[in-house]
Amino acid sequence: MIPRQFAFATVILFSLAVGMSVYVWQLRRREALNPQPSVPAQHVSPPTVGPMEKVTVYVAYDDPGELRAQSISIPLSSGRQQRAEELLRGLLNIYLEKNSPHPLGAGSEVHDVYLVNQGIAVLDLNSAFVNGQTSGVLAEELTVASMIQTLSTNIPELMRVKILVDGKERETLAGHSDLSGFYDVSEVEALAKQLSAQ
Amino acid sequence: MHWNRTHQGRRIRCAAHLLVAAILALSLQWLLFGQATPAPVAPPNQVSPTQVSPTQVSPTHASPSLAPANQAPANQPPAAAQPATGQRTLLIMIDPAHGGTESGAVLNPVILEKDVTLALARRLRQQLGTRGIQSQLLRDSDGILSADQRAALANAAQPALYISIHATSQGSGMRIYTAMLPAGGDNSGPFVDWQTAQSASLAHSRWAQGQLVAAVQKTGFPVRSLAAPLRPLNNITVPALALEIAPTTGDVSQLASADYQQMISAALANGIATLIPSLRAKTEFAP
Repeated sequence: MIPRQFAFATVILFSLAVGMSVYVWQLRRREALNPQPSVPAQHVSPPTVGPMEKVTVYVAYDDPGELRAQSISIPLSSGRQQRAEELLRGLLNIYLEKNSPHPLGAGSEVHDVYLVNQGIAVLDLNSAFVNGQTSGVLAEELTVASMIQTLSTNIPELMRVKILVDGKERETLAGHSDLSGFYDVSEVEALAKQLSAQ
Repeated sequence: MHWNRTHQGRRIRCAAHLLVAAILALSLQWLLFGQATPAPVAPPNQVSPTQVSPTQVSPTHASPSLAPANQAPANQPPAAAQPATGQRTLLIMIDPAHGGTESGAVLNPVILEKDVTLALARRLRQQLGTRGIQSQLLRDSDGILSADQRAALANAAQPALYISIHATSQGSGMRIYTAMLPAGGDNSGPFVDWQTAQSASLAHSRWAQGQLVAAVQKTGFPVRSLAAPLRPLNNITVPALALEIAPTTGDVSQLASADYQQMISAALANGIATLIPSLRAKTEFAP
């Protein structure tokens, strides 16, 4: 014989669970019907807190399909991770200019660069970056090589790079360049030489 | 003393009821909302190389030994014909990239990369056929194949050369790519790492790339050789190349024109024909 109070408690708990499930289901349906207006992602300019420094970035040029080393002056922080992020944002600023040699979509951004042990860097791009990327073998590899070569030139101990999009793994950048594995920096360096020697 | 009336018995019954209620609630939630969305990759201080290791994304279902018939859609070709002598017929495997809902680059509102690659692949097959070279298409309709499926089918057929075809609006002429292997991969043991399966054939692929570039250059057509991080090149166990075709006039519609495709496929077929004696010499293919 089940004591009455336990039967009541079970019924109450079950009712609560059902009620909560229905409430969550309704909330999700309401959210699906009225999606939040997405705030247009703004490109974040490098902060002006650090001293201006001259660095080498590798800029992609779509027209001849080349990668060219270019010196730019940008404010850089003292922290390694922040410096890496600022380097890539400096590079992205070139691509987001009006007469860009390798246009990227508006709102393209590098969320974060994580420098982890054993010479590994993890780049986290935003979805606007990949949505605005021109689809094509050469176009995509120019983007990837440009970012990795820029990082490895300024961070010599870098050996492997992984690219994520919004914190998640993705198969390709825009249908071609493989993002499922780690990039070997020495392989990218060899590719950068091929892309420069035209 | 009756067990049901003891204090301990009540506690056990109470716990059992609570457990049943919780299971019912969880089952209901699972039925209503399905599985939870995948969690993003751990933040940087928790990321270790093993957590996002490329080997973890290696397919277990698409090993090179898998027969094509097991994975291919109905429109897929069978494996290469095997002569009765035990020697294999020299086969060129042509892979028109993309297909189905995966259209590749939108070259212009009416020209999709998947259609250009298929048309060009068919012309190349025809051109190779007129030169007495056997070839197969990995995709001969608007079907979808994953990179793993493409690699598994190609590896099972064991062709002398695998060629993936792409098209783009950017640049001019043709680019011929070999694999750019990802970091890691241990191919020293009896098994081949899926992500770097191409490593054993990469020297062969580069040799074929050089020969093909030289042959196409003779026609005066702009051609360039590069490496590319492009799947499934790195998963292919035989010499493997990828081609990317761009218009020479700057007009994307040139890619869909029959004359342009015919000219490119003839130049490629001539180039591949020059590779055949060396491919035969390097492998055990039947003459």
